[in-house]
Amino acid sequence: MAALAAIQQATLSNGLTLLGVEYTRVPWVSLAFMCKRGAETDPPDKPGVADWTAELLTLGTTRRSQLELARDIEAMGAALAARGGWDATYVHLDGLAEDMETLVATLAEVVMTPAFPEAEFALLKERRRAELIQAADEPREVATRAFARLFFQGAPYGHAVRGELARLEALGLEDLKTWYAREFVPQEAVLVCVGMVPFPRLVAAAEQHFGAWQGGGPASPAWREAPARLATPGIYLLDRPELTQSEIRMGHLGLPRKHPDYFPVRLLNYILGEGGFSSRLMTRIRSELGLTYGIRSTFAWRRAPGPFVISTFTPADNTALAVKEIRQVVEEVREAGVTAQELAEAQSYYIGHFPLGLETPRALARQVLNIGLHDLGLDYLARYRERLAAVSLTEVRLAAQSHLHPENLVTLVVGPAARVKEPLAEIGPVTEFQAE
Amino acid sequence: MTAERALDPRAWNPEIAIVPFTLDNGLQLLVLPDATLPVVSVQVHYAVGSRHEAPGITGISHLFEHLMFRGTATLGPEEFSRRLQAKGGEVNAFTTRDHTSYFENLPAEHLELALSLEAERLKHLKLDEENFETERQVVISERKLRCVDSPFGLVEELLFATAYTEHPYRWPIIGWDQDLRRLTLEDCLSFFRRHYQPGEMLILVAGEAQPERVRELVERYFGDLPPGSHDSHRVVEPPQRGERRAVFKKVSQVEALFAGFHTVGLGHPDLYPLMVLAAILSQGRACRFYQEFVRPGRAAELEAEVYPPPWTSADPDLFIIRLVAAPGEPLSRLEADLWESLERLKHEGVTDLELARAKKLLRSQTVQGLAKTFYRGLMVALFHLKAGDGTLANGLLAAYEAVTAADVLRVARQYLREDNRTVVTLRPVSPEESQELGPLF
Repeated sequence: MAALAAIQQATLSNGLTLLGVEYTRVPWVSLAFMCKRGAETDPPDKPGVADWTAELLTLGTTRRSQLELARDIEAMGAALAARGGWDATYVHLDGLAEDMETLVATLAEVVMTPAFPEAEFALLKERRRAELIQAADEPREVATRAFARLFFQGAPYGHAVRGELARLEALGLEDLKTWYAREFVPQEAVLVCVGMVPFPRLVAAAEQHFGAWQGGGPASPAWREAPARLATPGIYLLDRPELTQSEIRMGHLGLPRKHPDYFPVRLLNYILGEGGFSSRLMTRIRSELGLTYGIRSTFAWRRAPGPFVISTFTPADNTALAVKEIRQVVEEVREAGVTAQELAEAQSYYIGHFPLGLETPRALARQVLNIGLHDLGLDYLARYRERLAAVSLTEVRLAAQSHLHPENLVTLVVGPAARVKEPLAEIGPVTEFQAE
Repeated sequence: MTAERALDPRAWNPEIAIVPFTLDNGLQLLVLPDATLPVVSVQVHYAVGSRHEAPGITGISHLFEHLMFRGTATLGPEEFSRRLQAKGGEVNAFTTRDHTSYFENLPAEHLELALSLEAERLKHLKLDEENFETERQVVISERKLRCVDSPFGLVEELLFATAYTEHPYRWPIIGWDQDLRRLTLEDCLSFFRRHYQPGEMLILVAGEAQPERVRELVERYFGDLPPGSHDSHRVVEPPQRGERRAVFKKVSQVEALFAGFHTVGLGHPDLYPLMVLAAILSQGRACRFYQEFVRPGRAAELEAEVYPPPWTSADPDLFIIRLVAAPGEPLSRLEADLWESLERLKHEGVTDLELARAKKLLRSQTVQGLAKTFYRGLMVALFHLKAGDGTLANGLLAAYEAVTAADVLRVARQYLREDNRTVVTLRPVSPEESQELGPLF
C-alpha cells in the first residue's frame, strides 16, 4: 500500500507559510495561493469585493496584459483561476510538472504585482452584470442566494460572494485596490503546492519568487462571531410562477470549524443527509416517497458559525408534503438519535473513502488549503481516520440534541405561489419574500 | 522506482496496462492492474442506451438504471448502495446515448463484495409496481430539474430533435415526459431480459488487483449466466442538405442560440483535430471566442464543444456552439459576427501559436485525467464499447500531438458548413406569454 504522502512545511524569509506534498502519480503541479480573508470582509454595502479582486489579479500585471498572461499560461497547458470564498481568497495555478519553475514565478507575479487595469475592471463589471442577470434563470441559484440574504439579515456570510445586481454600481476599482492592499499580507497567507516536485526544489523556487514580498496590511481582524440577529424561524415564499418545481431550503445556524464537536457532527450529518442513499433524508424523501431526485443537508464549516442547510426540489404540488416530511426527519434524529449500525457505517465510509478523496493533486491541494486555513496541524490527514473511529454513539446522540434545532428552521420555498402557498399555509404562516 | 525518479516528470510512463479476458458465456472482462493506491474501480457496462429505444418508450434505459438500485430478493431498496458505501465506496451509475454504466470505486479489499452485489442484482433484481411507481416519480422530478426548469435544457433538446431526423439521438436520454408517464413495469422487464445479458456486457476492474484473481472472481459470480447475443444494428443519419432553424420561447433573462454541426463518432481520427479546433475557439482566456466576444462583454457565454473522448458518442456526434447574448446585445448581430469569425478561420487557418497552445491544453487535460483510477477505467471501457478497441485510450496523447494546422483547417471546412448546421434560438417571453403558449413538460 502506498504510504500517505506527508505534508511538509517551510516558512519563507518574509513570513509566508509554504505547505507542500510530493505527488508521484502524474507529472502535474497544483499551486494555490491563499489569503486568509474572504468575502466576509466585503464592505456591507459592497458584496463581491474579495471575489472581484481575485479575478482582477488574473487580468493583468505590471509586466503583462490580460492577453499576454493568458497566452503565456495557456501555452504551458496551464490554467489560472482565482476566486473569493468565505474566510479566504484563492489564486490557483495548475500545470504540468515540467513547468514548475515558470508556474511558481507566474503565480508570484500575479499575486505580488497586479496592475488593476481600469479597462479590465470595466469589462469585468459588465461580465458580472450579465452573469447576475442570468442567475435569475437558475432556480437553484436563486434559492441559494435568497436564502443567504434572508437568513443572515445583512451579517457577514449573508450576501453573494460573486456580487449582487442591486449593488453592482457601488463597486469601484478603488474598493478592490484598497481591499488588496489591506488583506494581502504574507503573515495571513499560505502557499500550497501538490505535485511531482521534490520539496527542497519547491522551497527554493518559492523563496526566490515570493521571499521578498512584503504586502500591505494590517489585515482585517478574522471574523469569528455568531451574528447578533438572524431571520425569524418560519416559512418564506418567493413566487416564481413559471416554475414546474419548487426549490426548498431549510436551515438554522451551525457551528464554526474549530468546534470540538466537529467529528461527531460530521458523522451525524452523514447519517442525516450527506450520505447519499445511506442518509435518512434521502431514504424518506426520495426512496420511500418519490418526492425528489435529490436531497442533502450540509453544515457549512467556516471560521465563524456557518449555516446548516437542507436543500432539495420537488414538483410544485408536493411542496408542502416535502417540507413537512423533512422537518419530521430532523425531529426524529434529534429526539431518538441514530443507531449503532448507522454510526458504524458512517465511520467506515469516511475511513474507507479516505484514499479515494486524495487521488488527484487538486483534491489533495484542497485538503491542504483547508488545513492551512483553519490551522488543523500537519498531522491532520495522518490522524483523520483514528479521530473518526474514536467517536462514540453517545457523542453523536449528544451532538444531535445540541446541534439540530428543528424548531429554529428557516424555510424558504422558491416556486409557483398559486400552487404552493395554500398547502404551505396549513403548516404555518407564510411570509411572501421578495428577491433583491 | 526510487523516490527521486518517482518525482521526475521525464521518467513518468502514461501507459495504462490492459489485460483482457473473455468468459465462456461471451462476457468480456478487462483488468487494469495498477498498484499506485489501495483502491479499485469496478465497472459494469451494458451496451444499451437511449439509442436502443423507440418512440413511446424513450427514457426507458435511464429509468431502468434507477430500478437497478431498488433491491433484490435479499437486498432492500437502495441497500446495494448503502452496503458498498459503508465500505468507503463511491457508488453510482449513468446512462448515455450508447450505454448504461454502473460503478463502485472502493478500497481494494472489497473487490469481491462489489462483484458479488453486481451479480446479485443482475440475477435477482426485484421489481414490483410500488418500486416502479416511486422511481418513475423520481425520474419525472429529475427531468424537470435538468430540462424543464433549467435555463437551456429544452433548447438543447430541440437542437437534437431538429438536427437528427432518423437517428435515435433525436430524443433526450432522460426521455419525453409523456413516455415516462406511459411506460409500464412490463416494458421494463422485457427491456431487462433483452439487454442485461453477457452478450451486451463489459466488466472492467482498474486498480490494485491481480488480473488472474479478478478473472476467478468474475468467473465465480458471472460465469453461470447463459450466453446472450449482441445487437449490432446501426442507424445512419442521412447527410444534412441545408440549414435547419427553430425557435423556442421561454421565460428567460437572456437571448441565446444553440448550433450543432454533424461530425464524427468516437474512434474516427477526425475527432482529434476537432478537439483542437474547439480548444482554439473557446478554451481558456486567450482563445478566439473569449477575446472577440466574451471579454468585450458582447456574449455572456460563447463555447464550442465537442464531447471529448471517451465521452464522444459512438455514432456521429454534434459539434455544438452555445452562445448566450449579453443583456442588451441583439442576438441577430452576434450570430452574424459569430459565423463571420468562423469563416475567417476557414479562410485563413490557425496560427502555429494557437495550435501549440491548444495541443498543450489537451495534453494537460489528458494527463490530469490519468490521476484517477475511475477515469482510467472509463477511458478504456468506453473506447472498447464504442470504438471496439480499449487500447485506443493509450493513443490519446500521441493523437493530439500529431494534429497539424492543415488538419484543423480541413475539419473546420469539412464540418462547420452552413448546410450541415442546425440552429435553435431562445426567445425570451414574459411569464404571462409563457403561460399562454401552454404548459411545459
